[in-house]
Amino acid sequence: MTILTTKTQLLNPLIQLKTPLPLKFRPKMASISARLDNSQQQMNLSVLRFTLGIPGLDESYLPRWIGYGFGSLLILNHLLGSDSVSAAQLRTEALGLSLAAFSITLPYLGKFLKGAAPLDQTTLPEGAEQIFVMSENVSVAQKEALAWATYVLLRNTNTTSVLILTQGELCIRGYWNLPDGVSKDNVLDWFKSNIEETGLSDLRDTLYFPQTADAEFWNILPQGTRSVLVQPVLLSPNPSMNYMGNIEGFFLLASSMRYAYNEKDRAWIRAVSNKLRSKN
Amino acid sequence: MPIYVGGASLLAVLFNRAISGIAPVADASSSQSRADLLTLGLAVTNVLTGLVWLSIRPKSITPVEPQGVECQEIYSHLPESVVSEILWVWESLSAVTCCKSLVIVYDCQCIVQIGVAAKSLNIDEPFAVDAAKLMQGSLYQGVLKSGAQSYMANLSLYPGRSELPFLPSNTQAVILQPLGDRGIAVLGGDTIRGFTTSDQTWISYIGEKLDATLAKYMSSMPSVVQE
Repeated sequence: MTILTTKTQLLNPLIQLKTPLPLKFRPKMASISARLDNSQQQMNLSVLRFTLGIPGLDESYLPRWIGYGFGSLLILNHLLGSDSVSAAQLRTEALGLSLAAFSITLPYLGKFLKGAAPLDQTTLPEGAEQIFVMSENVSVAQKEALAWATYVLLRNTNTTSVLILTQGELCIRGYWNLPDGVSKDNVLDWFKSNIEETGLSDLRDTLYFPQTADAEFWNILPQGTRSVLVQPVLLSPNPSMNYMGNIEGFFLLASSMRYAYNEKDRAWIRAVSNKLRSKN
Repeated sequence: MPIYVGGASLLAVLFNRAISGIAPVADASSSQSRADLLTLGLAVTNVLTGLVWLSIRPKSITPVEPQGVECQEIYSHLPESVVSEILWVWESLSAVTCCKSLVIVYDCQCIVQIGVAAKSLNIDEPFAVDAAKLMQGSLYQGVLKSGAQSYMANLSLYPGRSELPFLPSNTQAVILQPLGDRGIAVLGGDTIRGFTTSDQTWISYIGEKLDATLAKYMSSMPSVVQE
C-alpha cells in the first residue's frame, strides 16, 4: 500500500513513496560537492546511492548500529531464555555475535573503498591565522611559480597549510600558528631556524603521515593538523637513478583531515614539485 | 566482501537449524528461534551492505593502446621558459593521468603536438593539425562560448569526433580545455572515463597557467606568417 499525497507530488521534485515496510531501498540522487571551499566554481556530482530516505541520517553507519542493536538483543535473549540452553542455540548465538562484531567494523572498512567519498570535510585549525610570505631575493619568474604552486595546492587538495623551501628560499602560505612574540618581519627567520632544526632539507624520499604521529617537526605545524606530506624537490628528472645529484628543497603540506592525500593527489603533488626544479 | 560473509552465515544458520532437529517454523516462541531470527537479520544486513559497496566501487576498465605515431613537435619560435613549461605540462599529464596525446592550439596556430598522433594518410608522419579548421569547428566554438572545460568520457559516442582527425583513431576519452579565449588544449586519453574529477580540476588550473604564460609571450612577439 503506498501513501502518496497530491500535495507532495506538486511540491517535491523528488517523489518520496512512503511504504509501511521499514527497510525498503530506493535510489536517491545525493549531491556531493567537491572539496573546494570559498570557490566560485563548485563541481556538483550526482551519485546514485541506495538510501532510506531519512534526511540527516548517514547510511554508512547503519551496519554499525544494527550490529550493536541486534548483538545486544542476542545477549538479552540468551540471558532471559529458557533454563536449558541447547548446543544449537549456543552455536547460533556465537555466529550472531561474530556477525554483529563484523557489522560494527564495516563502516570503518568501507572508508578504504576505492570509490568512497571523504566522510569528513576539512576543518580550519583553531587559533591559526592565514599568512602568505615569501623570501625577498627571488626572481620574478620564481615568485610567480611559487605563488601559483602554493595557490593550486591549497585549492586543489585537502591542504590547509603549505611551506615550500627551494634553493634556499622560503614560501609559506595558508593557516599557520605563529607564536606571539613573532612580528611580521621575523616570520621568515622564525620558520628558517625551525626548519634547520628539523633537518627536512636533506630529505630524499616522500614522507607521508596520514594520521597524527610523533615526528620532530610537528611543533611548527598548526594545531589540528592530522596528516602531513613532505615531498622533496628532486633535481634529476629520471627517477630510476639511484643516487640523486642535488636535492633542491622540499614541499611541506599539512591538512586537518586524516588520510588527506590519496595516490592521485600525491602524484599531482610530485608533478607540481617538478615544476619548481631549476633548469640546468 | 561482506556479501560472502553474510551469505555464508545465512546458510550456516539454516544448516544449524536443520541438523539440530528443530522444526523449520519461523516463530518467535522459543529462544532458539529468536536467536536464529536475529542472526538471520544480521546476515541480511551484511549482504545488503555488500551490495551497496559493489555499487560504489568503480568498474575497472582496461586502457586501449592508441594507434599512431609518436611525435613531439613544438612551435620553434617559443622562448626557452615557455618550452620548458610546456614540457613540464606534458610530463605531468602523461605520468599522472591517462593522457596519451596533447595538442595545443593558440592564436590560430598549432603550438604543440606531443604524444601519439594519428598517421597521416599513407606516410609515416604524424597528422598535421589544421588549426584554422579546428577553430571554426563546432567543438572549439562550443568550448569558447561556455568558457569551461569539456570532457568527452567516451569519444565513440560523440559526433564531434570527426573534427579531431589528428588524434589516434582509437582514442577513448578527450578533454577540451580552453586557454583563455585565444586557444584550446586537446588531451587524448587511452581509457574510457579515464580522467577523474581531480584530474579535471588540475587540468583546468594548468590550462589557466598555460594561458597566462602563452599570452605574455605571444603578445610580445612579432606576428608570424601562417603557412
